[in-house]
Amino acid sequence: MSVLEDADAPVERLSPLQEFCRAPGAFIRERPHVPLVPLILVVVVGAWEVIVRAGHLPDFLLPAPSAVGRALASGLSSRLYLEHFWITFSESLLGFLIAAAAGIAFGTVIAQFRLLERTLYPYLVALQTLPKIAIAPLLIVWLGFGFSSKVVIAALVAFFPVLVNVIVGLKTVDAGKLDLMRSLDASRWQTFRLVTFPNALPFVFAGLDIAIVFCVLGAIVGEFVGSQRGLGNLILQFHTSLDIAGMFAVLLLLAALGVGLHLVIQTIQRRVIFWAQADHVIGA
Amino acid sequence: MAAPLIVVSRLEKTYLTRAGSRIRALADVTLEVADGEFVTVVGPSGCGKTTLLRILGGLLPASSGTVELLGRRVTGPGRKVGMVFQDPVLLPWRTVLDNVMVPVIVLRLDRQLYRRRALELLALVGLTGFENRYPHELSGGMRQRVSLARALVHDPALLLMDEPFGALDAMTREAMNLELQRIWRESGKTVLFITHSIPEAVFLGDRVVVMSPRPARVVDMVTVDLPRPRDLDVMGSDSFGVYTRKIRQMLGPKGWLE
Repeated sequence: MSVLEDADAPVERLSPLQEFCRAPGAFIRERPHVPLVPLILVVVVGAWEVIVRAGHLPDFLLPAPSAVGRALASGLSSRLYLEHFWITFSESLLGFLIAAAAGIAFGTVIAQFRLLERTLYPYLVALQTLPKIAIAPLLIVWLGFGFSSKVVIAALVAFFPVLVNVIVGLKTVDAGKLDLMRSLDASRWQTFRLVTFPNALPFVFAGLDIAIVFCVLGAIVGEFVGSQRGLGNLILQFHTSLDIAGMFAVLLLLAALGVGLHLVIQTIQRRVIFWAQADHVIGA
Repeated sequence: MAAPLIVVSRLEKTYLTRAGSRIRALADVTLEVADGEFVTVVGPSGCGKTTLLRILGGLLPASSGTVELLGRRVTGPGRKVGMVFQDPVLLPWRTVLDNVMVPVIVLRLDRQLYRRRALELLALVGLTGFENRYPHELSGGMRQRVSLARALVHDPALLLMDEPFGALDAMTREAMNLELQRIWRESGKTVLFITHSIPEAVFLGDRVVVMSPRPARVVDMVTVDLPRPRDLDVMGSDSFGVYTRKIRQMLGPKGWLE
């Protein structure tokens, strides 16, 4: 019989909610930050409300949180915000999908050929250091005030983090794994499919996580530079009318959009690269 | 002694460093391993044992000299050899069974047929019930068992093992030595096993090849005449001590061990 004294069976894992229900006191003692995180929000928002009211600050300088809440509620119920939200959301998402597909495709090709990589490297560095949003006015000239210019700006801003992470990921392979494949006389394609590509996925996801935030940024900048619709356009409209509460409300919507997209990527990431510890993943 | 499975003659390896200087890693290594034999290679760390193993596995070209496996000259990697490295090098995104199947996929063998063999090998290394676990769920010893099953799955004639238990704690290591002896006896493979532990070399080997520091030469070959199967008690026996002392004396007085 074999010796299995070194078997360390994985322990049963409870969700945080289950743990809380089982023993609330112990749960909070072990994770004091869980109640502290919302507490900070309550304190800051409360203090803000008090300061604005006590200081009689005019609404066009700093609206009280309650005023922002009212603006948000009315904007949402009149569907005005939703329409603009949808525009910015679709621009960002489409830009992201283009950036992700192009970044993975180009990155994979570049990482395969050393000559190609070395030839393109100086250009990639130059393009990466260039603030892409500076190209936004040019793209508005070329593509107009509509949807497509925002998609292209979003894609352009999000493309480089994906590209760079794909290249780095494909090149960061443990020599032992490559030796294993070589000892079996594996073909290039087999090595790519079985080792190099899955091995790069944690890097790819780190790039995608940056990209998803960047493409919202790209879409908003595009809308600032020239647009008829979208949350960025709405901010400009409120700016003109000095509707500061409305601006804050739109900022909240943008924050929600960013957090939501980030969570989507994280959820997919946890499923696809379940085997990678968070600390193995390198953010760019 | 049965016909030699592998014949190494006058093997030399010289590396060219980036600075342009030459490093001689292997000097005139000649060695024969019989079919079914368990040969251990012991020598100081960094002496070039791994270089020897990599040349035998076809991962490195020799500078001169030849390696013949089953009468054919080794010029590159082939399916006649199974390798176990210092680290288990498992693919963390594949289950235990799928890791063992990697050589089957790469060598384009019949997956149905070899899946059964992979399961048998996992049973042989004592991992039944762990087929669908992932490497991160296993302990170090268990991972190295998976890598052993993977090295055996395509039924190679020769198993090359490069200090496979070096990273394990002493107790797990002894348990793995026992296991390896059992697996070797059951599978009937020829094994070339590299280590820098003299007791491990004596415990496992039919023969111990003692190598010098760089450039590695064969200092002596010691035939270990201890009955099989050996249990851990044999390590306390007088004859075991005679062997380990003898090897230590070959290496020790010259300051090769520290």
